[in-house]
Parts: sequence; structure tokens; C-alpha cells
Amino acid sequence: MGIIDLVGLEVRLGGRTVLDGLTGELQGQAIGLLGPNGAGKSTLINTLLGFHLPSKGTASVFGLDTQRDRARIREGIGYMPENDSFIGNMSGVRFVRYMAELAGLPAGEALERAHEALFYVGLGEVRYRQVSTYSLGMKQLVKLAQALAHGPRLLILDEPTNGLDPMARQRMIQAIKEIRKEGSIRLLISSHLLRDIDETCDEVLILKNGRIAALCNIEEERRSNKNFMELETVGATEKFSVSIRGRGCECACFPGGRIKLVMPEDMEARDLYVIASEHGVQIRRMNLRRDSLEDIFLRAMENEGGRPEHVSL
Amino acid sequence: MNDRIIFEDVSKFYGEVLGVNRISLSIPPGITTLVGPNGSGKTTLMNLMTGLVRPSSGHISVLGLTPADANEFFSAVGYCTQFDSFPRGLTGWQFVYDGLMLHGMNEIDAFGLTRESLERVQLGDAAGRAIASYSKGMRQKICLAQAIAHHPRVLVLDEPLNGLDPMARAESLALFQDLGRQGMHLVISSHILDEVDRISDRVVLITGGYLIAEGNIHQVRQEVRDKPMQVLVRCDHPELLASRMFAVNHCAEARMHADGRGVFLRTGDIDQFYSLLNGIAVEGLIKIETVAPADDDANAIYQYLIGSDGSAS
Amino acid sequence: MKEGGQSMSVYKHNYRAYTGRVTPLWTRILVLARYGLAEVWSSKISIGLFTVSLAPFLVFLVGIYLANNPIARFLITKGNSPGFAINAAFFLKMLEVQSWFALVLASWVAPRLITFDLADNALPILLSHPISRLGYVFGKFIALFAALSVVTWIPSLMLFAYQSYSSPQPWAFANFPIAAGLLAGAMIWIVFLSILGLALSSWVKWRVVATGIIFAAVFVPAGVGGIVSAILRTKWGLILNVPVMMTELWCRLLGAPDPMRPGQAIPTAAIAAMLAAACFICMAMLNKRIRAREVVRG
Repeated sequence: MGIIDLVGLEVRLGGRTVLDGLTGELQGQAIGLLGPNGAGKSTLINTLLGFHLPSKGTASVFGLDTQRDRARIREGIGYMPENDSFIGNMSGVRFVRYMAELAGLPAGEALERAHEALFYVGLGEVRYRQVSTYSLGMKQLVKLAQALAHGPRLLILDEPTNGLDPMARQRMIQAIKEIRKEGSIRLLISSHLLRDIDETCDEVLILKNGRIAALCNIEEERRSNKNFMELETVGATEKFSVSIRGRGCECACFPGGRIKLVMPEDMEARDLYVIASEHGVQIRRMNLRRDSLEDIFLRAMENEGGRPEHVSL
Repeated sequence: MNDRIIFEDVSKFYGEVLGVNRISLSIPPGITTLVGPNGSGKTTLMNLMTGLVRPSSGHISVLGLTPADANEFFSAVGYCTQFDSFPRGLTGWQFVYDGLMLHGMNEIDAFGLTRESLERVQLGDAAGRAIASYSKGMRQKICLAQAIAHHPRVLVLDEPLNGLDPMARAESLALFQDLGRQGMHLVISSHILDEVDRISDRVVLITGGYLIAEGNIHQVRQEVRDKPMQVLVRCDHPELLASRMFAVNHCAEARMHADGRGVFLRTGDIDQFYSLLNGIAVEGLIKIETVAPADDDANAIYQYLIGSDGSAS
Repeated sequence: MKEGGQSMSVYKHNYRAYTGRVTPLWTRILVLARYGLAEVWSSKISIGLFTVSLAPFLVFLVGIYLANNPIARFLITKGNSPGFAINAAFFLKMLEVQSWFALVLASWVAPRLITFDLADNALPILLSHPISRLGYVFGKFIALFAALSVVTWIPSLMLFAYQSYSSPQPWAFANFPIAAGLLAGAMIWIVFLSILGLALSSWVKWRVVATGIIFAAVFVPAGVGGIVSAILRTKWGLILNVPVMMTELWCRLLGAPDPMRPGQAIPTAAIAAMLAAACFICMAMLNKRIRAREVVRG
């Protein structure tokens, strides 16, 4: 049984069917939630938290039904919402402690773990200041701290890197990776940044128009994309690409000397270098294609008409 | 020069608070990305560029125009801020149309231009609804629509991809590249550095109100001389590769990758390095799997020049 | 962390899971109430208001003392003042005064309980814990109810006890209905005030405005009711006048003489219905505003 189970889940809001018959089992250690705006990601998260009731079907977390066992589910969840969400006139410690006590910790333990959580996310120095004086990055981190303090089994993060500058974003991703490594917490991360999901998640759920467009395991996909390569070249790129096509590669050229190609079975990297030196071309970058998540996402969106062809993610 | 945005020793103070200090810039046509931590002065810079604030000292000229020539200046410039607020009660169509009327156009022209810009951002069918009912991504798009509707020559965008799902991000990036190719000046601020890498020709780094670096990303990287370029090469005999490189003396530092299947090589002369590497690959004694410049991108520049605490290092 | 037989000198502080005791679900509401009360007491103005509310208590205390000690009375008033009895009318007066203080306190305290949570959108995080919307409101209600109790029925019953103690004749047993009336009357008022205060605070963004609106909610309908009564020449406009209606109710509960003319009296059932209707509207307001997410229309 997975950590999250959906069976024919339908949720109606304001007269509209927002989630339309979702069925699937989410088992990964870290699950990414992707989809265009309006696909139902927030509604799904809200349903798992028990804020919305299903009109048909069921959703269960840890095997508990979201309709009947709401309180027990919430005890085991840490939630980090997308928007600003805090109590301004409390200090960081008091806020996290308050949330931990609401989650079920006795007062003494709650205070201890509040301090621990704030240190862990990197807010140790500012924990006695009022949350309303925190910067945007700090407010995001305090949301993470309150979600962790009571030791949840499932951490739900909604756009965790929203608005963070590059360094803060790296720190957040690093924190998420460490939490994942620790092993006792499962993660559900909703984001618009494929790069973030790629770095942190092993399973991905893609929603579109309230339905599941794809549910797959990224690790397995990556392992099976062995012969897909991406090159960056300097020199006579055109002649180079003609030659490698002659050797049986499928390739596509992009501006800046970038080439994406699929090598046939009998060819290997050295052959590319040989051909390159024949044409006086320098290969400055050679990668196994990492964009399997982008492929998966594009394929899942494919059914929608009107998407321009030249879009590359 | 009349095709550049020029800042001459510009400073802006808000009372005691520093916005930007002694900034000198010359921005050519094409896409220029503005990068820096939150609170670094990016928004001040953009407000100065679009004539919304006047500098405390120094001189700004945009394509030869200053805010003193109000009509021409403001019709040459389009601005899309990071703030998510709109006049109440307006529909998307009205918002763009009213903006055009403010530029003094007649109704027929305004009508046509409104329709064109809405189509360009792919918001045609939602234009009749009130902006208050839009999702975040749609609000981002309508802001962009009003910024480009009057066909400005300079487009200043503050975090234009914030809140957009992956498909919309790719479309917006494609649109920006299109506009850049047409000869417009685009100044885009972003925290997502790998997107910055993908589209921009030039980068401007700013922190604490000071200009840290400006120019083509690769040029900037090469000028950070105290950190020679680093390349990660994954191969089957990394120690052999390192010793070969050291032997020809083009390598300042070699560091083994944690998994033992790759080596980070630092070199002062990147061109020679690649030629050598290509040669070694052709020899075939060492099987090269991937080659990746480890720090020739905006992320690395950011880390080296701005560092993790947001201050100039 | 110690490994095998060796002892380590470097301690790594990573995330650790929680394996300790979990408090029972029903106590979470008390956590809300506890933090709510802490919030109330943290404000100097609250403390000031509480202190000022003690003043009438002291005045009435002295009154009871004087009533039961004719020598003291004679000494102080030099035989000029008439005697007065400690009876239902006395306690009615006391209840009235304290209830005004309760109104002032409620209009200051109720916004402090709710507005801080709503100002920065803390509800999604709050409600993602094992607490339902009803539980949330109930927790805040308990805090407000406790605060208001301290200025209404608790001092009232204390005065009743003091009177029983200091009265020369056996007084308590005969006047027991007064005690019951005090308790019931005060409780009705503070339950009504609490629900009203919480509902109006949830509706408005700024605390000061909320304070003003709570006052207005008590007085403005009174004015409207007066106009209605005058224009339609009926007594029923009076039902909107909450202070007068409460006094009526307390009269009947305490067994004090009715200050109103016989033909003008509003039946108890009508008063109860009015209070119930007001509470119902307030609950509807709370239902609308205390939500984890707003439903997007269209």
C-alpha cells in the first residue's frame, strides 16, 4: 500500500468538478506534484489535508481515509503552504512551539523540538525575533520548521522555493534532500520548477484538467535513457552533425553549438571525439541527457492542442 | 549612443536607506538579465530605468531619451513589476485597452493592439473576465500583455516567470527570445539561474546596491581570475586523466569526484584544455563518459561573486 | 551519539524523528485557549481594563458591609442616609454595571484573539493540525468566556457569598434564586458577547475597527429599534435594544421588580428568540470567515 492512495477521487468546488476521478498509488520516498495552473494540484493537497470533502471516491493517507480520520491524518502531516502564513506578533520559537503543541506534543517537548527545528532549518540566530520582521526567505524557512517540529510522517511542501534568491533556494533544496535522506519522512512537493522536482523527487504525479496525466518513477526513466546525449561544440558544427548522422545517429542542432543526439548501439563516445577531431571541432560539453523529466512532462501535456512546436524546456 | 540604455554614475537614496550606489551601465539590445539577492537594488534599478523614480545623483538615458521627454520616453518603455496588484474591477481586456488609451492612441488602433498583445501572451479567451478571478499565471500574463501592447523598444520585466507552470515558462522564454531577436532591449530579473543561462546574452550582477559584474556570462566568468575554470570529466580512469593533464602543465588543480569515477580539473587556459582533452579522447586509452563545465554558468558566477550571505565577496 | 565501544567527541545534530508521548486529541482545544489567554494577558491595556473592572466590585463590597453593619453606617453617614436592603434589586444593579465592563473588555479582547491569526493568513497552517474549524472557534470561545467570567459571575457570586456570611439573619437559603439568577444571567450575557465578539472580529481586518464595531453592534440596533417603535407606535422595536432586553431578562431571573410598565413588557420567549437569532447570524459569519481556503468562483 502506498503512502497516498486515490480511488476514483472526485472533488467539486463552487459548482465545478476540479478533480475528476483520480486513481493511483503514490509510493515514492519523495513525490513530485506537477501540472499547469488550474490542474487541481492545490485542490488535491487540500483534499489530503481534509479541507475539502470528496464528492465521490476516496483518498487515503497512511491507509487512513481523509474523510473519516481527518484528525489522525493531520497529526502525521507537516504542511508548508505556498503563500505567506504565520502569526505576526509571535516570536519564531513561540510560533513553532504553538504549532507543535497543536500537533500533539506535550508542552516541554514542544519547546525543545521548536528550538531544534529552527536551528535545523538555519533560523537559529533569529528565533527570538517576531516573525513579522523576518525576510521572505526566513518566512519560508519558518514554515518548514513548524512543519517539521512535531516529527510528521508526511511533509507536504507547496512551492517551497517560491520567491527565494539563488542561495536561499539552494539551501532549501539542500534541506529537502537531507530530510529525504534521513528516511523517516515522506515528501510530497508541488512546484512549477522542473529542476527542483528533478533534484529532489523519485516519483512524479502530473495532473492536467483534474485528471492524472502521468504517474511514474523518475529514477527508472533515467536509467533507461542511456544513449541519449547532449553536446556543446565549438567549430564546424554543421559538418559535424552531418557526419554523425551518416554514422547512424539521430540528432538535432540548436543555436550556440548545442546538439542533442541518440547514438546507435554500436557507437560510443570516443567515436564522437574522432569525428570531431576530423572536422576540427572542439567538444566542450558532453552529457547524458538529464531532461527525462522534461520529456515526461511534455508527453503528458501532449494532448492539449495549440502548443507551439519550437518550445523546448 | 542611441541604441543603449546608459547609466552614468547613478545613485539613489531613500532618505538614509541605500537603493543603488554609483552604478554605471551600458545595456545594448538583446536580453540582459539582472541577478542578485532580494533587497539588492534590482527593483530600484528597474524603477530608475523606467522613469518611475529619479536618481539622487547621476544621469540616465534610455535610447537617448530621458523622463523629461515624457511622451516619447514612456511610449518607448514597457514595465511589468513583480507586484501582484491591479486596478479593481477591471477585466483583462479593459486593463490593456485603458493602458493603450493612456498613451494617447485612438480607439481603433488601441482595439487592434489590445487584441494582438492578448493573443501574443495566449490570453485571448480569458480577457473578458475580471482580473480578480485570474490565477497567478494568468495575472503574470496580463501584466506582460500590457507591457508589450504599445510596442515599446525597451521592456523591463521583474520576475516575469514567477508562478508560471513549466509550459507557460517555456512559452514566455520563447517570446522573450523572439522579442530580443527583433532588436528590443529586454531587461529581465530572475532568481532561476539556469533559465537565465538559457536565454540571456548578458548578465548584470548586483548586491547591496552595488554593481558587481556586467557583461556576457562567459566573459564575466573568465574574468574571475582567482577562480580558474573548472570542468568535471567523468571517465573510467580519472587519475590517469589528471596526471596526463598535469604533465602538459595546463592544470592548476585536480580533485577526484566522491564516487571515484570523475575528476574536477581547474585550468587557466580553457581553449588549450579542450583541445588536449579531445586529443586524449581520440587516443582511446581513457574512455570519456561526460564532460561538463562545472562553473561556466550564472550559478557559479553568483556563488563566486555574491556568495552565500548576499554580500559581495 | 556513541558507537560500539568507542566514545565520540563530535556530536552531529541532524533531524530526528519524534517518538515520545502524544497528547489526547481533545486537549488541543485547550492549547488554543491557553495561547489565546496568554495573548490576552500580554497586553497592558487588557490588564488595565481588568483592574478597572474591579472597582465596582469594591464599591458593592463596601455597600454590603455597610448594609449589614448599622453602627458603621451610622458612623459614616451620621444618621442621614436611609437604610437599604441587600436584595434582588441590589444584585441586579451590580450585574448591570459589571456587564457594561464585560462589554468593554470583550470588545478589546475578542479582536486580539482572532485578528492576529487572520492578518497573516495563519489559518491554513493552523487548520492543517488536528483541529477542526469548530474546534478552533470553540478554543477561542473558551479563552474569551474565561476572561469575561472573571469580571461577571465570579465576583457576583463572591459578593453573594459575602452577603450570606455577613448577614445577621439566615439569608442565603431564602435568597438562593438570586444566586441562580446571577449565574444564569451573567452566563447568557457573556456567551452572547463572546460569540458576537469573535464573529465581528473575524469579519474585519483591523483590530481597532473591530473594537468599534462590537460596540456599535450593541448600540446601533438599539437606536434603530427606538426609531421603529416611534414610527410604528409599537413596543416591539424595543426588542432590538439589547441592554434593555438584558436588564428585563435579569429582572425576571433574579426576581427583581420590573422597571418597565406592564403593557410594555416583552415576553421572555421573544427575548430568548432574539438572542438565539443573533447568535445564529454570528455563527454563520464565523463559518464564512474561518476557512483554510477560499473557494475560487468561476
